[in-house]
Amino acid sequence: MPSAVLEVRNLTKRFGGLTAVTGLDFEVGEGEILGVIGPNGAGKSTTFNVIAGTFGADQGEVRFAGVPILGLAQHRIAALGVMRTFQHNRPFSGMPVLDNVMVGAHTRFRKGLWSVLLNRSLNEESERRRKAQELVEFVGLGGLAEADVATLSFGQGRLLEIARALAGEPRLLLLDEPAAGLTPDELARLAEIIRGIAARGIAVLLIEHDMHFLLPLAHRVVVLNFGAKIADGLPAEIRADPAVADAYLGSHASAR
Amino acid sequence: MQDFLELAVSATASGCVYGLVALAYLLMIRPTGIINFAVGEWAMVGAFGGVVLLTKYEWNYALGMATVIAFMAAVGWATERIAVRPLVERGAPILAPILALLGMVMVFRESISVSFPPDPHAVPYPFGLGRLEWGPLGGSYQSFFIVAVSLLVFAGFWLFFEKSLWGRSFEAVALNRRAAALMGINLSRVTSVSFAGGAAVAGLAGLLVSPNVSAHYLMGVPLAIQGFTALVIGGVGRVEGALLGGLLLSFAEQLAARYAPIASGFTQGVPLLLLMLFLIFRPTGLLQARA
Amino acid sequence: MSGALRWLGALVLLAGASFFMSDYHNDVYRKLMLWVTLALGYNFLFGICGQVAFSHFAFYGIGAYSVVILLFQLHVPLPIAIVLGVAVCILVALAVAIPSTRLEGFYLALATLALGQLFIVVLNEGGAVTGGNGGIANYRLPDIFGVRIRGPWYTAVIATLLVGTFALLWRLDHSWFGRACRAIRDNAEAAAAMGVNVARVKVIVFTLTSALAGITGMVYAFVDNTVNPPIFGIDNAFLLLFMVIVGGAGRHAGAIIGAVLLFLLPFFLSPLVGHHHVLVFGLLVVGAILAAPKGLIGLYDAFRRS
Repeated sequence: MPSAVLEVRNLTKRFGGLTAVTGLDFEVGEGEILGVIGPNGAGKSTTFNVIAGTFGADQGEVRFAGVPILGLAQHRIAALGVMRTFQHNRPFSGMPVLDNVMVGAHTRFRKGLWSVLLNRSLNEESERRRKAQELVEFVGLGGLAEADVATLSFGQGRLLEIARALAGEPRLLLLDEPAAGLTPDELARLAEIIRGIAARGIAVLLIEHDMHFLLPLAHRVVVLNFGAKIADGLPAEIRADPAVADAYLGSHASAR
Repeated sequence: MQDFLELAVSATASGCVYGLVALAYLLMIRPTGIINFAVGEWAMVGAFGGVVLLTKYEWNYALGMATVIAFMAAVGWATERIAVRPLVERGAPILAPILALLGMVMVFRESISVSFPPDPHAVPYPFGLGRLEWGPLGGSYQSFFIVAVSLLVFAGFWLFFEKSLWGRSFEAVALNRRAAALMGINLSRVTSVSFAGGAAVAGLAGLLVSPNVSAHYLMGVPLAIQGFTALVIGGVGRVEGALLGGLLLSFAEQLAARYAPIASGFTQGVPLLLLMLFLIFRPTGLLQARA
Repeated sequence: MSGALRWLGALVLLAGASFFMSDYHNDVYRKLMLWVTLALGYNFLFGICGQVAFSHFAFYGIGAYSVVILLFQLHVPLPIAIVLGVAVCILVALAVAIPSTRLEGFYLALATLALGQLFIVVLNEGGAVTGGNGGIANYRLPDIFGVRIRGPWYTAVIATLLVGTFALLWRLDHSWFGRACRAIRDNAEAAAAMGVNVARVKVIVFTLTSALAGITGMVYAFVDNTVNPPIFGIDNAFLLLFMVIVGGAGRHAGAIIGAVLLFLLPFFLSPLVGHHHVLVFGLLVVGAILAAPKGLIGLYDAFRRS
């Protein structure tokens, strides 16, 4: 079995008196799409944010390609090859679409400041621009490369998030509820794109609420409830798992 | 010791003035997040209101003071309407109204500069120039007047925020604008009231300090800096913090001027140094907001 | 290499023009070019990198005073004075920038405002070293290799500074560095997630632009051959901000237009409003933010697109 791209071991995160995640264990392999689901408050976002480097954790380990990344600054994690999208789109509103994507490639630029000043980085610049253009087309925004970000629809903004993250040439892509707010057509497009990404060998971790979107797409699913893992397996297994049904029904019941 | 007590009274009075300016900032920052640097100019306009009504037309002091405060509230309301509301409604980033208000600083200052001769203008003392001895404490009538009025204002606002429904809605907006709007609180009314209140308090501060220092069209910026320093020291979260910050700043200034072995001119640097130190090491101030 | 030729061409034009001007016009022209240079640097800090700061003019002053004090009080040779002056600017900038990058939004503005004011206090109280309120006057630029640089030749020096600054900032802007700066301005958290070392970039930009302002100050010191505190005060710091906003923050052309407009406007407004042109500036700024947030250059762009 190939070594995992992402390994999470015994992860525990508390906020004051509240334990958001406890003893969490899972892995993601190369080219694998792992879905993380669970009712509200299950700890999905917290887990996501710990891996992405937004905050640290109280216990446990997170390893990316064998390298411990827990507690590292976000920009260092990105440089290592872990890129993420944001649930509420966060484009750089003062630049056109293509430049937004090029920011994603920030860590891949090799030429330092001196080269820039001495005007010796022009080749790299046009090379990166070409690659960014390819990504823009890959996600289906071809033709909008010079568009003002404000003119994009919500769904298009979501696609931009993904193109921008891909520009960083990640080995692990973290998607934060990518399906939220999309139309059925856009959802189909998104699923195709995510499959395409995994096919390129990139590991994908996505947290999602929308089971109809996730179960047909993911290779494997991890289910959280009250901060702990209650199931880990193939989508078909998860669908049939009574503990999972309980967790969702239970949360409905307590909401009444 | 007597020396120190004299200084303490005058420092308390200055501290109250800084505290009022800090309070003006606070009233606007809490619900909107907007740092309104024009509060210094509002204080200056309040002082000039005193020049017009009290010096030139010799109105009764209480009436004049009340009129100036009411006028300043209107100015604050108008400022919000012109320079803030259109930007907030448009969803502009928070920096936009802050910069627009910086532009208004120039507009206020130059408007006064155009309307009055450039020399300092006298504003009368409500109780004259006498001294009051109150137990071991001694100071000018004006010092005691300033402290009394300020304490009243602070007590009033403290009660407002703690006890009244209006004050609670202010707090709600300060904590979470969206949630407050969902609860039915009228956001634009809260913003209008906060600007009106901020201007009124700033104008009062200007009126209180002007008999001692005279009204001058350049008095706004130093007051704005001192007021903001007081706010940063005390913490943005609580009304009492503004007063505490003002007092600490004032005492630091006057003690340094009196007892520190440095040239007197350098004491102007005290609020500046304190501001930089607090911003860098303790930007949340000394008092924490209530949870 | 056409890029370099264009810069050279601009330099020749700007420097050459000074030889066809009277002394009075030369003086105005020099100061205009200095303001444009400052505005370009400030635009990079504020308009491109999103850092609101009021210390730019303080660094202008630190550069000016340093070179004058080093040359005429400490009698240091010119090349060393220049290097030391730049070093002072860089050190002060680092001392301010490193802790300040943690500050959110307007708090940096206030810390730099306090720095600017503190600088003025130090100047006023500096006694014999800084010349106190009166400042230092009655000196002149030492001869370089026996040559006395003055008149249109000194204007050419200023033109070189302007073109050099512009070229430098232009190169930086059109690179991954410029994009990283804009990303920080637009959404710092997303920038960090994309791999931008936000704190480091902010410190570099602050230090670089402050050092540039300092160098500009050194050149300024020999324009009027006098340095005194009011020149470097808060009013000019505000004016610089206003220039960039009215012209169009984030665009080099905007900085240039804003500087030219607000610098020349008082000359035309004087007969009408005396020295109250600042009132007009205030109104322009408020108007710009309300009606034309992308500044004059933004209006021009929109006009061209329609």
